[in-house]
Amino acid sequence: MSEQGCSRKPELSQDGELKAVQFRPKQAVSSLDAEQRSQAGFNTMDDSVNNLCANEFAPTKISYGHVYWRFLVNSYDERVWRWRALIFILLAVLGLTVLLCATIGPARIGFGEVLTMLLRRLPWAGSLIPRGDWPDNYETIVLQMRLSRVILAALVGAGLAASGVVLQGLLLNPMADPYILGISQGAALGATAAMLSGISMQVLGIYAVPLVAFAAGLGTSIMVYNLARVGHKVQMSTLLLAGIAVGLFLSAITSYAMITSGQNVHQILFWMIGGFAGRGWDHVKVLLPYIFIGYTLMHLSARKLNVILLGEEPAQHLGIDVEKMKKVLLVAATLTTASAVAVSGVIAFVGLIVPHAVRLMVGPDHRVLLPTAALTGAIFLIMADALARVAAAPEEIPVGIITALCGGPFFIYLLRKKNDPGF
Amino acid sequence: MSVILRIEDIECSYGAVKVLRGLTFSIESGSFTGIIGPNGSGKSTLLKSLSRVLKPAKGAVLLNEENLYNLDTREVAKKMAVVPQETAVNFSFTVKDVVIMGRSPHLGRFQSEGKKDFEAARLAMELTGTGHLADRLITAVSGGERQRVIIAKALAQEPKIILLDEPTSHLDINHQIEILSLLKSLNRENNLTIIAVFHDLNLAAQYCDRLILMKSGLVFTMGDPAEVLTADNIKQVYGASVLIRKHPVTGQPSIILLAQDAQAAVKKSRVHVICGGGAGAAVLGLLAGHGYEVSAGVLNSGDIDWETANFLGIQLAEEIPFLPISERSHNENIKLINEAAACILANIPFGRGNLKNLEAVSLALEQSKPVLIIEETDIEERDFTGGKAASLYNGLKEKGAVVLREKILVLDWLQDSLSNTR
Repeated sequence: MSEQGCSRKPELSQDGELKAVQFRPKQAVSSLDAEQRSQAGFNTMDDSVNNLCANEFAPTKISYGHVYWRFLVNSYDERVWRWRALIFILLAVLGLTVLLCATIGPARIGFGEVLTMLLRRLPWAGSLIPRGDWPDNYETIVLQMRLSRVILAALVGAGLAASGVVLQGLLLNPMADPYILGISQGAALGATAAMLSGISMQVLGIYAVPLVAFAAGLGTSIMVYNLARVGHKVQMSTLLLAGIAVGLFLSAITSYAMITSGQNVHQILFWMIGGFAGRGWDHVKVLLPYIFIGYTLMHLSARKLNVILLGEEPAQHLGIDVEKMKKVLLVAATLTTASAVAVSGVIAFVGLIVPHAVRLMVGPDHRVLLPTAALTGAIFLIMADALARVAAAPEEIPVGIITALCGGPFFIYLLRKKNDPGF
Repeated sequence: MSVILRIEDIECSYGAVKVLRGLTFSIESGSFTGIIGPNGSGKSTLLKSLSRVLKPAKGAVLLNEENLYNLDTREVAKKMAVVPQETAVNFSFTVKDVVIMGRSPHLGRFQSEGKKDFEAARLAMELTGTGHLADRLITAVSGGERQRVIIAKALAQEPKIILLDEPTSHLDINHQIEILSLLKSLNRENNLTIIAVFHDLNLAAQYCDRLILMKSGLVFTMGDPAEVLTADNIKQVYGASVLIRKHPVTGQPSIILLAQDAQAAVKKSRVHVICGGGAGAAVLGLLAGHGYEVSAGVLNSGDIDWETANFLGIQLAEEIPFLPISERSHNENIKLINEAAACILANIPFGRGNLKNLEAVSLALEQSKPVLIIEETDIEERDFTGGKAASLYNGLKEKGAVVLREKILVLDWLQDSLSNTR
């Protein structure tokens, strides 16, 4: 209530009278001392301020004293709690989604059974839970096949969404997505080369495609970064354009390679649309450290990323080493995205639409935006993957098609609902 | 007062273009310094190198005798805040979010805002009168309010120095005054050192206690406003003719612009203007600005028209202050009229002292010179001779003087009448 009283009716200060005060502080701004600022102190300040005014140009302002001060702190506390509640709810939804989507598949395994299987895996209490009367291979299906795939989708979704948030903020461009630095085109070229050559297959086995894709994606983004670098500084608009130019160049080579090879085109195309078919715990193990490190770096920079939204120079004036921040965040986003692409192919739209949709709902503060976008991305991609498995069963649709089909219309709906889609 | 910022012979360039070419000056703690100069003189570049954004190629910027560029960004941000000309807002933070971002230099990587930070933000908002906006979106406040919010953010940094780059150039005059008065009060009451780039010389003169006038990357001159803002300096730096007067209230110099025409270089015929007491200043400026050779009379020395005429370098017939027109000055006036191609009578009041002016005009008519009367108010209202002036004045009209009610039409009339006589 004090919030409304303060923002809508400023003339009602706490002692019920309007105080027209010319703002002349008695105390220096630089000598802030919480103890000296009792409530009484503020009132006397307001009164004594009148006497100090000798400047005929000083405008008249209304002072609100301590009323809104209390509200400022309260609302901040309140907001932090709101953020925590939101993150907690999303975590719960994520847990439920993981379990639910582990029940989806040709073998009919129920929610309770999946839950029991998982609980039995707990370190100490697990052995106390009785085994259900399901066939032996059910446990293999759930734990080895379905769950690994669901977790992988969650990691990729979280990584892409978080990278999207960071790049949109860093580039101050709502059209930015994790592939903006040419990672997708680089990785696609790498994967195509690996699939077509077949030589690397013999050396690296099933890891050939992910490894080559990862290396090529990373290499491309390093190249784009260096193209946009002048001395120590990186111009973000140049980075954007360099990413587009290099990306177009690389995808032209990929297309040429695909057309001239005459074989394996279907396999390459499948990879390029992105999906989780045939991925398992090995992929999760490879991906997890990258996503973890990448996300942690981004999360630790969240507050500073807010300040960067004011512009690079203003951020620098607020004591932020913008160039260092850019490097750290670009490395984090690149590692996350390149590793995600390596295991799952180029899944479009998640890194563009999830950050936007979440920003429209929770606001631009990265301290809440980053975790909620990561969680939402994870949930969204798990669901999309589940749909990809069942929509045309027994055939599987690449999950990239599902994300685009769901994401596009939903995003348009959000845009129409809220008039100002900016940051 | 002690020196807080010392600039030693700095040079800055963008690529091959040298923008700053060796500046040396120092800023005293608690001063309000204005940096002025024409576009491209390097004002904003100077501000950039003072704010640790653009490292000078040569020379040093010393903050409390320490090289600014050897200090940590965060350390500098604790001592120095910058308010840009305009802050782009394309994100929906609330006002208090933005203000509290000012606490950024005081927070470590793993730290989030605490009580002390909220307190600083609150005080900054109170000082700038933005408390009531706390929960509004920064995208939803007006330009003046937004600039106050950005200043609040700067104050939340608890700086010793604030640098401002044309802080009010996008604002209406009421907001300009409001923001500059706020800065002035912070400067006086909190001993905050302020360095601001100004576009508007009058605002700079009004609020700064020291001005630095720049010309093509160098300090042209510096000092207090009265020393720096002289007609001569402005002519040399800006290439513009101005009148400098004392502000009636503050006593600071105040700049009045004179209209100039592209054709001013071409010398035109001589025109004599009969004026006094300020009634003719505008016409004098207009004619001189359009390339006419102008003379004036009879003017009491020290009056506004006399000052204007002197400034414009106009030949004139003058009289000692408050004395009626003497025979000597009357003859001088007539001589000037004789030399002129046309004569203009400004909208002056008539008393016993200057009736001779009307006689002089009458003589001009007798010589069939084109005569123009600017009549903005009726003669009866400015006749203080009991009808004598009015009858002489109406006599002029009968003898063929042209009457115009607006002085802006003078140029057209002159063009017509002078081409006819030729």
